[in-house]
Amino acid sequence: MHLFRILFFYEWRHFRAARGLVLLCGLLLATGLYGIYYGTTEVTRQRAQLAALPELTRRNVAELQVKFPGPADAGDIGYYHSTFAVHHPDAWAALSLGLRDVNPSYVKLRLLGLHNQLYATDNANPMKLLSGNFDLAFVLVYLLPLLIIALGFNLLSAEREEGILTLLLAQPVRPATVVAAKLAFRLALVLGLAGLLSVAGMLWAGVPLDGRVASWLALTALYCLFWFGVVLVVTAWQRPSAVNAVVLLGVWLVLVVLVPSLLNLAVAAARPVPQGLELTIRQREEIHAGWDKPKAETMNRFFALYPQWRDTATIRERFVWRWYYAFQHLGDQAVAPQAASYAHGLQARYNLVEQLNLLSPAINAQSSFNALAGSDLPAHLAFQRSATRYHDSLRAFYYPFLFRKVEFTHADYAREPQHSFTSVPELATAQHGLSKLLLSVAVVFGLGGLLLRLRPVSPL
Amino acid sequence: MIRSIAQKEFISTLRDRRFAVLSALVLVLLLAATLVGRASFRTLQRERQTAQGTVNEQFRNQPSRHPHRVAHYGSFAFRPKSGLSLLDGGVDSFTGSAVYLEAHQQNSVNFSQAQQSGSLIRFGEMTVAFVLQLLVPLLIIFLCFGAFTQERETGTLKLLLSQGVSLRQVAWGKITGYGQAVALVVTPALALAAALLFTGEEFASNTDLVARLALFGLGYAVYFFLIVVGSVVVSARQSSSRTALVMLLGLWILGGIILPKATANLGASIYPTITKAQLDADVHEEAQHGIDGHDPHDKRAEALKADLLKKYGVDSEDQLPVSLAGVQMAAGEEYSAKVYQQHFAALNATYERQNRLSDWAGLLNPYQAIRPLSMGVAGSDFGHYVHFQQAAEAYRYALVQRLNGLQAGMGHGDKERRLDAATWRELPVFAYQAPTLGWAWPHLLLPVAALLLWAAGLSWLGLRLISKTSVE
Repeated sequence: MHLFRILFFYEWRHFRAARGLVLLCGLLLATGLYGIYYGTTEVTRQRAQLAALPELTRRNVAELQVKFPGPADAGDIGYYHSTFAVHHPDAWAALSLGLRDVNPSYVKLRLLGLHNQLYATDNANPMKLLSGNFDLAFVLVYLLPLLIIALGFNLLSAEREEGILTLLLAQPVRPATVVAAKLAFRLALVLGLAGLLSVAGMLWAGVPLDGRVASWLALTALYCLFWFGVVLVVTAWQRPSAVNAVVLLGVWLVLVVLVPSLLNLAVAAARPVPQGLELTIRQREEIHAGWDKPKAETMNRFFALYPQWRDTATIRERFVWRWYYAFQHLGDQAVAPQAASYAHGLQARYNLVEQLNLLSPAINAQSSFNALAGSDLPAHLAFQRSATRYHDSLRAFYYPFLFRKVEFTHADYAREPQHSFTSVPELATAQHGLSKLLLSVAVVFGLGGLLLRLRPVSPL
Repeated sequence: MIRSIAQKEFISTLRDRRFAVLSALVLVLLLAATLVGRASFRTLQRERQTAQGTVNEQFRNQPSRHPHRVAHYGSFAFRPKSGLSLLDGGVDSFTGSAVYLEAHQQNSVNFSQAQQSGSLIRFGEMTVAFVLQLLVPLLIIFLCFGAFTQERETGTLKLLLSQGVSLRQVAWGKITGYGQAVALVVTPALALAAALLFTGEEFASNTDLVARLALFGLGYAVYFFLIVVGSVVVSARQSSSRTALVMLLGLWILGGIILPKATANLGASIYPTITKAQLDADVHEEAQHGIDGHDPHDKRAEALKADLLKKYGVDSEDQLPVSLAGVQMAAGEEYSAKVYQQHFAALNATYERQNRLSDWAGLLNPYQAIRPLSMGVAGSDFGHYVHFQQAAEAYRYALVQRLNGLQAGMGHGDKERRLDAATWRELPVFAYQAPTLGWAWPHLLLPVAALLLWAAGLSWLGLRLISKTSVE
């Protein structure tokens, strides 16, 4: 143990002397801080954008109050009045933005058919989406392994190439202790950096101090450990530094770049998603056919779903709002199976990736971070379900006005249901991610240990 | 002498097992990317063509309706994939594929591939462009990092120079040799891609596509050339193979991963985007100063009515030969479309400003020069996307105004009447004509200039550095 401490201490002195490595660590720290800065400002911006929505609704109401100074037909209000279903980011989203830029964080809703409103996207620069987010999760998942590779590719080989290893091994010290001390020093350094960045990110983003803090730190630590395991395997293989660098970078390329992009192709092929296009086309047909169908037919179909309105007056007018909203809703009903299979298809893709991400700890780490932050696909699907329920509640609010012919007064605006939804973390996914990472770590360390035993460290 | 050095490098590269393995890997990936690209291109193209055909048929086969109902029924525009997008998908996966075209408003383009892929798409897509832009340079780095350091380490550089060759000649010889080796890997894949492209009937005898493909190949040739030169220069300036390799890999990571993301994110931070909700509200607010076609009590509508009565010399609405409602709709649409156009122009200008940061970064980073060039040539960049958006809007506006014209022509009391089903068959359907290379060219000038500057600069400055480098 004493020997280990000496070796560890000497590594520290070496490290301080190696300006390149210190620079590299500084660079990682800087990119990490930029990632935290970017993530928190992005979430702050999203919050500010969401906070501006009630004002838009208020202006809309004020305008309607001018347009309809007295009691109005609720049908007119339902048509001209828009409100928002909002998807608030969790504080953790600042550290792992996930798909929050690709998917809209609010949906503008009117009393009309839901499905041609639900999939509207927000303004987004596609070039920016293509480049992706520079958040802390990106720094940890993409860049941290590169630092580990830079620190570890010449763990033993440099000593060998400089002729120091012979001298070192001439001392009464086991090669394994040397390797362990060198690895431990680097591990401490990297874990320190990653921990520092994570804690800084959590403080900056103001996350609630719950169990997710430990989960995030454990995920980060295990992910670092995995890459050190890879370094251990390559070190135990005992090839020249240049070969080590190539191999390690190759592993990085395979796990962080190639496997995810190939998996993306495979998943798209294995789980085809019924195009959302069909859904919107079909819904338009259904809704607009409503104008041409006999009113009694439409109303009877509607009353089958809502028997409580069956006793309302028979429609004799050329146009009446309750009939209009009835066929809007029937349009939604007609595409309900397509909408469900679209959402199921997306979820099935996500589930398949969850199963296959054992192939790449990078994907695993990324999706676990996103799961903790509630910024991935399941969170968005949950939001869409919540927006659907909100639309239901809006209809439930307006139907008595429409079917009982109650006049809509200025006071009724305030009674309208409101919507708020905050991302929910997928703790189970993150837990799974942790155990899968643990397995990956065990595999690489097992392999490294085995190799060290099988191939004695040669000083030359 | 340059030739024999080149030949030696070329042959010894071919004999190198590591190179064989790596290039086989790159070749397989290139072929796979080409085939996958073609398959997904075909699927998406078929889906969108079918969808476009379906909505066009539905539009033509509407029953007799009032024209304004048809304007609200509207149409869809599906964005066709450009032919070369099978080589470089560009932003295609992140832009929606369909936009709903209806009266009174401009909608967002919905249903992007990215929304359907989950966070996997964040790790990048396996396309030909991805292999060419990031993996081939990596192959070049592994090939060239020891160009000078190894000769120096084994002492052969001195021997070479004692034959009366200059360092500059050695460098050129090596660059030529490595260039040949890279060409050997990349050319067959690109040739195959071209063959696959031109066997599809939709591309037969399409000169624009040939020109685009030629520029695509040329652009990558320059890109690879400058990376070979850069790697050889770094190899000459570094004392050991190890440091040369680490330095080159560091540059690859910086240029290929960190800088593109950082500049895109920085651009978005500096020039924030307005939300769609805010934009729609602003448009609505401004459009109120125009005519609200649906509101007959609107003051401006009153003025329009007075003008019409005067114009036709009649004193009541029911004597007008045209439908007042139709004329009001047309005037309202004209105004609101103009307001939308202004706001979308401002939004696109914001995006352009965000992207400009990345484009200018091409002068610092060759990857950020080849990327816009490649996408632009492939017809999958932001500019081409905007072109589609504008074509869809032009069609929407023309369609809605034509329907408003039909309504106006129905005369007073049009609301109670319908137009015959045959009317809808005479209206043109949406057909998108992708722009030519000539149209795209102005966007490509900066990346082309950046690439050429890099190639020329590296050849000149780099080789000057090499000739001053130490032999020991």
